[in-house]
Amino acid sequence: MKLVARIEPGIWALFGAGFMVGSLLLPAWIFVVWIAAPLGWVPAEALGYERAHALAAGPIGRLLLLALIVLPLWNGANHLRHWLIDLGGYARDGVMAPLLYASAAVFSVVAIAAVVRL
Amino acid sequence: MSPTSAKKTFVVTRFDPDVDEVPKTQSYEIPVQSDWKVLDALNYIKDEVDPTLSHRWSCRMAVCGSCGMMVDGEPKLTCKVALSDYGDVVEVEPLANFPIIRDLVVELEGFMERFKKVKPWIIRAKERAVEEGTFRQSPQELADFKQFSMCINCMLCYSACPVVGNEPHFLGPAAIALGHRYNLDTRDEGSAERNQVFLEEGGVFSCSYANECSEVCPKNVDPAAAVQQGKALSLVDWAKGLVLPRGGGE
Repeated sequence: MKLVARIEPGIWALFGAGFMVGSLLLPAWIFVVWIAAPLGWVPAEALGYERAHALAAGPIGRLLLLALIVLPLWNGANHLRHWLIDLGGYARDGVMAPLLYASAAVFSVVAIAAVVRL
Repeated sequence: MSPTSAKKTFVVTRFDPDVDEVPKTQSYEIPVQSDWKVLDALNYIKDEVDPTLSHRWSCRMAVCGSCGMMVDGEPKLTCKVALSDYGDVVEVEPLANFPIIRDLVVELEGFMERFKKVKPWIIRAKERAVEEGTFRQSPQELADFKQFSMCINCMLCYSACPVVGNEPHFLGPAAIALGHRYNLDTRDEGSAERNQVFLEEGGVFSCSYANECSEVCPKNVDPAAAVQQGKALSLVDWAKGLVLPRGGGE
């Protein structure tokens, strides 16, 4: 718990950034990739594999992908933790906080590895 | 005088520490007037029906912050809320999250300590000599913190805050808003000291963004905004502490 308390400001920074990304960029991403593309509102070749891969593998593309994947993980972990505290108090926080943050950390590392190897 | 409009029933928490193990409720049916606030009804009960009822109040104009109680389950300044906004049965309880002393009176002692913790006064590295004249502050600089200085310590925000209920060490909305008010004051040089308090366990980062404090604040202080801004500002000090060796942050 002591460690969690010490790094909490940093987690909050990731949470805040994740909140912004999750509220602004992620909906735009979902709209383009999941709605506009399948409905043919964007030209099919715009998101063809070759072009999409080239976009994602560029330096800006990689940064954007990392922000889109990693930051919302910390947003979710922190929000879920505080939501659990609001509902059930601190009784299980000693277990839940490390568990949630460790999950966010593990998936962040997986995401970073995946994006680096693109 | 306005005419007596109707009767209302007040279900009021009663607790006598010498007799009762746990708080109980007592109902009073009284005639009410259409322009009454909830506090007027409690005073009527105290004066005309049951002098043993204990409740705190003083100014009757939302300035002193004494008459905070739960009205139909929500923390309210009873002198500010109109009785006409409530139904025929009105529940009045002592402020949630506080120990009860008697009936509707709660213990505030432990909470007042938290206000002291945030050092709510102007801290200067070096006092300014009188000959140097007064501090100058622009209207904009005043506007930056004025809202956070309007708190009347009514403690409604502590009653509404889910974190206060769960975390005994939490500084709480009003104390953080007060500390933040001094951090924003251009005359003050103590933000590093206060941010250390904000960064401790039970500081700003214990807040879970419920925003209830600002919802219930009768003076529109918006303590939730103070807490979030306090997080951002103390985060900078925290990051400095990571990069610079201990004590290097000054």
